[in-house]
Amino acid sequence: MKQAMVILLALLAALTTRSLGADITLAPPSGVTASDVPNDVGSQILVTWSSSPDEVEPADGGVRALLGYAIYRQVAQTADGLESIGEAGSNQSELGFPANFTFDDVEPIGSVSYGQTTFVDENVNAGGTYLYAVAATGAGGTFSPLAVASLPATAEMQYFNQGKLWFLIIMLIISGVIIAFVMFAKRGGTIKVRPIAGLEAVTEAVGRSTEMGKPVLFVPGILDINDIQTVAGITVLSNVAKTAARYDAKLKVPTARSLVMTTARETVEAAYLGEGRPDAYNEDNIYYLTDEQFGYTAGVQGVMVREEPAACFYMGAFYAESLILAETGNSIGAIQIAGTAMPSQLPFFVAACDYTLIGEEFFAASAYLSNDPEQLGSLKGQDVGKVIAAVLLVIGCLVATLATVTPTQTLEMAQLYIADNILGNAGLAPNEDAVMEIDARWNAVESKVKEEGGS
Amino acid sequence: MAKAYTPGLLVTRHKKHRCVRRLPIAGDVKVKVGDRVSADDVVAETSLPGNVNPINLANQMSMPPADVMDCMIKHEGDPIAVNEPLAQTKGLFGMFKSTVNSRFEGTVETISPVTGQVIIRGAPLPVQVRAYIDGDVVSVREDEGCEIEAEVAYVQGIFGVGGETQGRIAMACTSNEQELVADEITPEMKGCIVVGGARMTAEAIQKARDVGAAAVVSGGLDDEDLKNLLGYDLGVAITGREELGITVIITEGFGEISMAERTYDMLKGHEGGNASVNGATQIRAGVMRPEIIIPLSGSQAAQAGQEFEEGQLVIGRSLRVIRDPYFGMIGEVSALPAEPHVLGSGSKARVLEVKFPSGETAIVPRANVELIEE
Amino acid sequence: MNQIDPDQIQVILATDCGSTTTKAILIQYVDGEYRQTHRGEAPTTVEKPFADVTMGVVNSVTEIGELAGRRLVDDEGRIITPATDTEGCDIYISTSSAGGGLQMMVAGVIAEMTAASAKRAALGAGSIVMDVIAANDGRRPHDQIQRIRDLRPDMILISGGTDGGTTEKVVQIAELVAPAKPQPRFGSDYSMPIIYAGNIEARDSISEVFSEGGFDLQIVDNLRPVLERENLGPARDKIHDIFLEHVMAQAPGYDKLMGWTGAPIMPTPGAVGDILQTVAKLQNINVVGVDIGGATTDVFSVFDETFNRTVSANLGMSYSISNVCAEATMANVLRWVPFDMDERELRNHVKNKMIRPTTIPQSRESLMFEQAVAREALRLAYKQHKEFATTLKGVQQQRTVGDTFSQETAGQTIVNNMKLDLLVASGGVLSHAPRMHQTAMLLIDAFEPEGVTMLAKDSIFMMPHLGVLASVHPKAAEQVFARDCLIYLGTCVAAKGMPKAGKPCFSWELSGDRSGSGTIHGGEMQLVELAEGETGTISLAPARGMDLGEGPGKKVEREVRGGTVGLILDGRGRSLELPQERVACQATVQGWLDSLEVYTEEVQPAAV
Repeated sequence: MKQAMVILLALLAALTTRSLGADITLAPPSGVTASDVPNDVGSQILVTWSSSPDEVEPADGGVRALLGYAIYRQVAQTADGLESIGEAGSNQSELGFPANFTFDDVEPIGSVSYGQTTFVDENVNAGGTYLYAVAATGAGGTFSPLAVASLPATAEMQYFNQGKLWFLIIMLIISGVIIAFVMFAKRGGTIKVRPIAGLEAVTEAVGRSTEMGKPVLFVPGILDINDIQTVAGITVLSNVAKTAARYDAKLKVPTARSLVMTTARETVEAAYLGEGRPDAYNEDNIYYLTDEQFGYTAGVQGVMVREEPAACFYMGAFYAESLILAETGNSIGAIQIAGTAMPSQLPFFVAACDYTLIGEEFFAASAYLSNDPEQLGSLKGQDVGKVIAAVLLVIGCLVATLATVTPTQTLEMAQLYIADNILGNAGLAPNEDAVMEIDARWNAVESKVKEEGGS
Repeated sequence: MAKAYTPGLLVTRHKKHRCVRRLPIAGDVKVKVGDRVSADDVVAETSLPGNVNPINLANQMSMPPADVMDCMIKHEGDPIAVNEPLAQTKGLFGMFKSTVNSRFEGTVETISPVTGQVIIRGAPLPVQVRAYIDGDVVSVREDEGCEIEAEVAYVQGIFGVGGETQGRIAMACTSNEQELVADEITPEMKGCIVVGGARMTAEAIQKARDVGAAAVVSGGLDDEDLKNLLGYDLGVAITGREELGITVIITEGFGEISMAERTYDMLKGHEGGNASVNGATQIRAGVMRPEIIIPLSGSQAAQAGQEFEEGQLVIGRSLRVIRDPYFGMIGEVSALPAEPHVLGSGSKARVLEVKFPSGETAIVPRANVELIEE
Repeated sequence: MNQIDPDQIQVILATDCGSTTTKAILIQYVDGEYRQTHRGEAPTTVEKPFADVTMGVVNSVTEIGELAGRRLVDDEGRIITPATDTEGCDIYISTSSAGGGLQMMVAGVIAEMTAASAKRAALGAGSIVMDVIAANDGRRPHDQIQRIRDLRPDMILISGGTDGGTTEKVVQIAELVAPAKPQPRFGSDYSMPIIYAGNIEARDSISEVFSEGGFDLQIVDNLRPVLERENLGPARDKIHDIFLEHVMAQAPGYDKLMGWTGAPIMPTPGAVGDILQTVAKLQNINVVGVDIGGATTDVFSVFDETFNRTVSANLGMSYSISNVCAEATMANVLRWVPFDMDERELRNHVKNKMIRPTTIPQSRESLMFEQAVAREALRLAYKQHKEFATTLKGVQQQRTVGDTFSQETAGQTIVNNMKLDLLVASGGVLSHAPRMHQTAMLLIDAFEPEGVTMLAKDSIFMMPHLGVLASVHPKAAEQVFARDCLIYLGTCVAAKGMPKAGKPCFSWELSGDRSGSGTIHGGEMQLVELAEGETGTISLAPARGMDLGEGPGKKVEREVRGGTVGLILDGRGRSLELPQERVACQATVQGWLDSLEVYTEEVQPAAV
């Protein structure tokens, strides 16, 4: 009965405060601390506090008075060492906020809604020292008194982000493997690269052109030279040109960009020179058509239909024109070899061409073709990286699945470690709070099991 | 069958030797029947057509092959030098003409309207054929070559490298069983045919080459040394075109093996005399062995006995075993069983019994012996 | 040559004029079938001092006549045809490889395409291909011209361009050949025959190029009318014609010989190819044949009715033995020898064999070493054959999205050891091995047959004769081939895959004339008795991952045929790998040799 009376009284009080409006006073949050955010360049300070008692929703169903918190900051010392607080020394409170601080004059540096008890100030200068204060805010612009942090915080820059330690480890492993393979290859070791059918077939395609007395057509895609796929295409072009020089086939390269044309000319000329056939090089065969996507497509198609090349190469970035070109090539009976990293165009090329270099294969082409130890070594090293990634992926999936289906503490810990530490930012050691949380949960489960067993 | 023919190498004190000197292609023969020639004389000469160098003008001038003909500055048959203009495009209104210069010297041989290719033939390469041996011209085949005949002492080696050469015979060893090592080669042997005894070492060949000897002849040679001398492992015994600066001939075989006494004695008998040698070997159908030809003067020829007679396997005949396990050993036929015999290897083959000088006898397959001509 | 009715033929006389010996055989119709009854041999007489091939032929035929008690040669030294009851023969046929056989140079535009087809045509016709000139062979034009000049081929085959394809390149090739003015091998009084089998549109230009300079240009259909298809027949026939008309006519005595024969004289290897093709077709099997000689090794294969022949010019057992050791490396040769040998001595030994090619091994060690060399020579020759016997290159591929990750290039080899049914050996080192077990072991080690494969050897090198016979009387040829030509060594059963040493590889059960069963372990070989003429059915259950013809782990049942060696069960796995370490390797090889009874105890030479 007595309890019911207290609730009634409280409700009554709430109703009264609401009607009183601006006159209410909010209790300030307590225990404000400020600390440097670790593992950053020094641009962040973390402010935390304990929520104000007024945050609790009134039991009588009334409206909560506290809406959020406003965070205020005073520069205690700037990054270049000037004491700014000192200037206001005369009228400052004991911890540095001026005595005449009014909420009307000073804008908060940030605010959060109720329920939250942390704020990251991302607008500090490394080396600067700041003093923070938090006030609860209520409806109608009411504020609680300032709760000032007991100590100022200094934003510090860390040279080493310990949270990404795992990144470093993996990077070192992969780099090490790459270097090891490069050294191995340079010392004459043989690195086996899986034969890429599309590149093996270059000689065949060019040979076919020679036998049939038809030209070889090379389309380096429709993007400019700054696109990595165009660059990869030019690498393949160099090889095609060498073969064409050796086989004495006519090589035609229509381009959609002027810069690609210039690069292609240089490449092809170098290739012909390298094969000792500078006389067979004719720069008129490498020409610019138009920047327009479909103008270019129509132009290339025209060449195909008129000259009926016996071999067509599509190496670079392609969009909607891929199938149009590949189908035309197919209809004239050419051997076609395509290479692109455009996932949406690959199926078209695969279906309409004799050979297709898919994504990675296309980029691996230069290592494959050049047989250069550095390139081969890095190709092999990257493979090891891919294996590591794939292994992590598989283990992660397995652990996560098992942790859901048959949860155990170890599995959950493992899942946490993979997600937060290896892939996340928690560094080498697992996050203590998270560990404690899991521990606690499992302790509870355990004790419950015990209890049940006991009864 | 008590007789069987087994091939052997010809070593004879006296033989009428004919050698055919032929041009690779038709040319002039400089001698006539009855002429006396010495080894160094040129008996025939010709010039091989020069090397052919194609230039693809259609490509260089970016024009269809059929138009090339109209742009030519030089025409078929014209001589041309390096960097001399070969063709010129018509250009635009007589301007912007581009010229193609020749990269080769020679004469314009053909201009092809199909391929747009111009073929320039280089200067002819003179080819001379020398007499190789001292002797008389016995027949001449017009435009092709001639045959030279001489009375000679003749030694067939088993294997050689390097081509034709001639010089004085110089004996380097004291017996046919002595190894030919570098120390035995002296600077006086320049231009000579150095004759050793048993195996010759790589250093000996090297030194002989350094002093400028024309050829080295000895009993044996290690395969390893041959490989080092040639710079590659010889796969097929077809030699004669090596350019080593020296001709090397082995008379017996590979490994530690002494020169047959008869051969050694015969060469020793001609020490200081001139000889022609050829290392060219071709072991195929139509076998060709290296040779040492020593021309004989009239009196020598009269002294030397009869021409040799082709070998018959008969009891008492001396022979050499040419396959392991008795490789290199010399003995005489002591029995000729008619029936095939099962060998250690399990195969059946016709054999003979050899008696070695030590008195021991052995059974060897007939295929593994070689007659020593007497 | 008059037409002969095959049914009337009772007595067939055939000769093969080889470079050293002329071999004659007599085939007679006995008790309703054709059998080879007698044979004779005599030295070939092409070269000086005889310079008339017919002398050797008459000598060998006379020998047969004496053996058969039948007069075959008349008083004027002519072969008597047709036959009567006691003398003569119904038909006389011959092959020839004397004077080095038929030597050709071929040319095409692209080495892997038309030039390869041209080479196939020339090899198929039984010639030796001295060189292949192609636009992309990596040689400068003047080097090519120099090469053409140096060679003295019997004839030149030029192809290039599909019909309607390149004219320019073909004419360019012709423009290399014409100024080089190659000289024919025999005599300077006949013009160099040139067969043109390329782009039909280039014919006029080609005719013009060869119009002067003393060439005899013959034009036949394009041997590669489109890249997708080969048409080797016309070129092949033309090669045979020219071989007869020009080349043979130049060789001493051949004009006379040609008058005697009832069918055109064929180049020996061409005839061997013909008989293998005939047999493969009649019995519907895949066949590989090998002929290892002193200088060269010929490999023939018929897979799914596609015939291929290669000549490995410098792989042989005497003239080329040194080259085999150089190409295969001494270490690879020695891995087959189960005891230590001094390498320096061995090298000298090899060179001595090279310079004295006619010697024969006297001791067992010497024989084992020679057979080790033979294994490597055969392995290399077979490897070259596999590389050459491919599907056509330069062909457009049809793909579906399903092929995304399984794109294969064209030009894969068609030689498939798993599909191989019959492996036929001939040539000195194989057919004259003291024990048939050695021949069988050599074949298995060198060719690595997979699944169930029959092994056989040509008894007396009769295949050439039968090849020519096949062109006039296929039935007789096949009967003699099956009955008298081949000596069956037995059947080899080998699993594909890499079995673990000592773990089961496959289990077997034999029923029929002989029965038995057992399990073969990894690295193990076993010889099961199954004599000549006996047959049986073998059920095989391979271990996981091992393949005996139906796929990994699948059970197989096959008919097997016995032979002088028997049924050989091979659990060593494919591809065959020997231990790297010398001592382990010796022990392993010794184990294999023991289990197959390859070398019996050495017979001590008597009376030393």
